[in-house]
Amino acid sequence: MITLESDRLVFSFPEVHDDARLDITFQRTLRIPDDDRTYPLPPGLGQFPLRHVDDFGARVPENWRPRGGVMLPMFQSEALWISFGRGSGYPFAVKVATGKINAVDGKPWVSGLAQGPQNYMAVPPQPWLDGYCVAKGVIRQFVAMPLGEGYTAEEQITGEAEHGGIQIVAYPMKREFYERMQREQEPRAQWFGVPAPAAARAVSSMGLAPGGRMRQHIYDDRHGLDAWDQAHGSRCFIAIANSLHWRAITGEAPPTLPPTARDYAKANLPWFDYYDETPTVEGAGALDKLLSVVGMGKKKGKAPLPENESADAGVVVPLGPGKPGPRPVREAMLE
Amino acid sequence: MTFGSFIRTARERRLADDSRFSLRQVAQRIDVEPAYLSKVERDEVAPPSEATIVRLARELGEDADLLLAMAGKISSDLAEIIRKRPRLFAQLIRELKTMPDHAILRLVREVRDGDW
Repeated sequence: MITLESDRLVFSFPEVHDDARLDITFQRTLRIPDDDRTYPLPPGLGQFPLRHVDDFGARVPENWRPRGGVMLPMFQSEALWISFGRGSGYPFAVKVATGKINAVDGKPWVSGLAQGPQNYMAVPPQPWLDGYCVAKGVIRQFVAMPLGEGYTAEEQITGEAEHGGIQIVAYPMKREFYERMQREQEPRAQWFGVPAPAAARAVSSMGLAPGGRMRQHIYDDRHGLDAWDQAHGSRCFIAIANSLHWRAITGEAPPTLPPTARDYAKANLPWFDYYDETPTVEGAGALDKLLSVVGMGKKKGKAPLPENESADAGVVVPLGPGKPGPRPVREAMLE
Repeated sequence: MTFGSFIRTARERRLADDSRFSLRQVAQRIDVEPAYLSKVERDEVAPPSEATIVRLARELGEDADLLLAMAGKISSDLAEIIRKRPRLFAQLIRELKTMPDHAILRLVREVRDGDW
């Protein structure tokens, strides 16, 4: 089952094991520049609010209602990362797609887990996902763009602007595998670780598009496919509303825009690098061929990303079990 | 298990793998004196404030509601929820007290998965 608790999606499987619980949050962050550089990890700046789509009936687009799930607000060209948060430490296989395009293997959404290439992440060790896996150790950041303008991964791969949003399915490890792991006293992975109702047709749906390049690994599943209890998966559709329409839908103010990467770097605030010696997967060819938002903009003769100047990440804090840093979490406090 | 012994065990378990979980460093990160945290761990003083317990829970990767309950406290957001509808929630909690966990979980609102 999936519940919504304080802007966290909580996947729990008491029928599998009392410990089988995974918290997923959507973190506000800087949009890294979409240029030729590869950047370290930007900070988490707090969680995006999440609301049940069912609670806002006629205020949301008609095609959102049959999907159920939850929704969050993003400004056009804002970035996010997905945090597989601190929980019980129970292992999960997690598959993430945007517009029903898998963010790890670049293929259209299919049910179930696959290897060769791996189409999911094993959590732990995977602590988070910031974007599309375009090469070994490199992702392109998730950046919100309006559906229908051709920027999103979905539109570039399928030619259609049908789904948008984010799709997540989580499968717990089989109880017997988990109990065997516990008996073998394997050290637990460390966790490092948001007026009047508008007519629904005025609310625009958003999708995610590939932005700037960032150093991030997607780790190989060392447990193997047989470890995952695919009979007990739970899935969720996360619709993305334009922040400009969030108040009209929910009556609540959306979060403010985060600072630009250049302003953040100038203030000497920390960036992060995550070190883990677990082997990692190759990038997906289909995702590597996508045009970034700036690349697609050039093709269209447009400049879709405001304030895209390069930034110099001065302070880079190491995180992760391979190289413990001074802070165990990927957060920055903005005054 | 007492509040103090629980957090001491949790901290020392993390200290086995990571030296940043020494008493001194944890105290510094949650903004209390090491001597005070030591007394809390030995149950020589009453558990700290709600805000300190929440910071401690976050630092140790433990559930804040669990630690607050062990300290005989209830989080202020839950208290506010009960204050708004005291009779309803008092009745509800009393009726749920003997219900098994899996039955209570069925009462929790699930995120609906639809057709996509």
